[in-house]
Amino acid sequence: MSGTSIVNALAVLLILTSMLVVETRKLRTAAYMYSLQSLVLVAIFLSLAVFMEAEPLYIWSLTALVTKTFLVPYLIIRTLKKVGIQEEGRAPETSSSVFLAVCLVALSFAVVEPFHMQALLKLKVALAVSIAHFLLGLLCILARKNALKQILGYCLMENGSHLTLAIMAYNAPETVEIGILTDAIFAVLIMTIIARRLFQDFGTLDTDKLTLLKG
Amino acid sequence: MAGNKLLLIGLVQALLVLVVAPFFTGFSRTLRAKLHSRKGPGILQNYRDIFKLIKRQEVVPAQASWVFRFTPYIVMATTLLMAMIIPILILQSPLGMAADLIAVVYLFAVFRFFFALAGLDSGSGFAGIGASREMALAVLVEPTIILVLFVVALLAGSTDLGTISQKVAAGEISYYSPAVWLGMAAFAIATFVETGKLPFDLAEAEQEIQEGPLTEYSGRSLAILKWSLYMKQVVAIALFLAVFFPFGSAAVVSASSLLVSVATFLLKVAGFYVVAALLENGMARLLLFKTPAVTWVAFGIALLSFVFYLANV
Repeated sequence: MSGTSIVNALAVLLILTSMLVVETRKLRTAAYMYSLQSLVLVAIFLSLAVFMEAEPLYIWSLTALVTKTFLVPYLIIRTLKKVGIQEEGRAPETSSSVFLAVCLVALSFAVVEPFHMQALLKLKVALAVSIAHFLLGLLCILARKNALKQILGYCLMENGSHLTLAIMAYNAPETVEIGILTDAIFAVLIMTIIARRLFQDFGTLDTDKLTLLKG
Repeated sequence: MAGNKLLLIGLVQALLVLVVAPFFTGFSRTLRAKLHSRKGPGILQNYRDIFKLIKRQEVVPAQASWVFRFTPYIVMATTLLMAMIIPILILQSPLGMAADLIAVVYLFAVFRFFFALAGLDSGSGFAGIGASREMALAVLVEPTIILVLFVVALLAGSTDLGTISQKVAAGEISYYSPAVWLGMAAFAIATFVETGKLPFDLAEAEQEIQEGPLTEYSGRSLAILKWSLYMKQVVAIALFLAVFFPFGSAAVVSASSLLVSVATFLLKVAGFYVVAALLENGMARLLLFKTPAVTWVAFGIALLSFVFYLANV
């Protein structure tokens, strides 16, 4: 089993875990699923680092482990504890969103097909998966009404773009990565604070209710 | 010469499934009883039931037609035929010259069709509901099975089950390829539903979804139908094993290798039943109109496997 096929198989696992994040109704479990999926992402970084002999990726994977696997789920779960809501409200059927996800994956494979960059030829699948992953995060934001679920969707998008970066420019210096990660962490932090304020004012995390006028 | 030998092996396979099927369902009943911490029936209870029923008198509803009377035999014959087509003991389909996986899928459909038709024909409202549920379940599960089998057939370049088994056993169809293990996951769910396990059916309660059409049957017909249902479970599992876990089956035909493959087959099926028992006793019952949620997810996984096949992963 060659290095690229390991990366590709892990990339497929990434799709599955992100579908788990989108489909899990219990918000706490969804946060754990996100943690699991970040672990897969870290594994991809590590294997890319080994097979591409890209030194910076070791540090990338370490920082990704700390922030994505531990910090972001911790922030989400802390907010959950403050808010006290454990389950997502009404949500679209699992089956229809699974089909949408399948369509998105097929779409991203079609998009990647005409790429002919030398560095990418072996990792085309992983690139397609990272694009699909970005789209899945977008799907999560668009299709789910719960504010915390939408934050998780944002994190999925972030993971997807991260993977794209790691594949396209694995020799980029660590500072790039650290900059992006602090951005993402602060975004999540601010969004959880907003979600908490939302709950204080409206008594719900349903973003549809945001249109209610409160004097 | 070779053809005759293969035919003989096919007959042995059919006989094997015929003999061991009640044992395995008894095994699953015993496992469930153990997991519920009750004593439960013995492993051989299903044999005793069948022999008791064969001796009983048969009653047929007045308005029932020939369909009702012939169904047990048709259903038994289709199951035996499936047991002959699927490569159970050797890495070659014993009836490979006559039937491939499309034939097997259609035989499953024939089984369902007559089973449901007999339920409707009996004129009992209860059996009618059972029949309609059986058909609903078929509509939900069959797309997954067909799609996964097509993906595997495309990978193998042949719809012959024996060729697929050989290629999987030789590692030509590798488990590392996402299309294969996603397909395996979807097919495992479909097989689980097909064997009539708890979230969809409670085999111990006789009038449940899959045994609903049995309502009006009695005596010998009931015995044969029940036996065929038990056999269908083993055949569905055997299909799953033949496509995804063909290891241990004999590559060359000889008495000793056949014995080994009989033993491995029995072990593999027992393993499947143990996993299935753990799963079904860990879950609550599912309302029938909620089952599409589960089966569509399985179909989604199968579809994903197809997409990955198309993308050449």
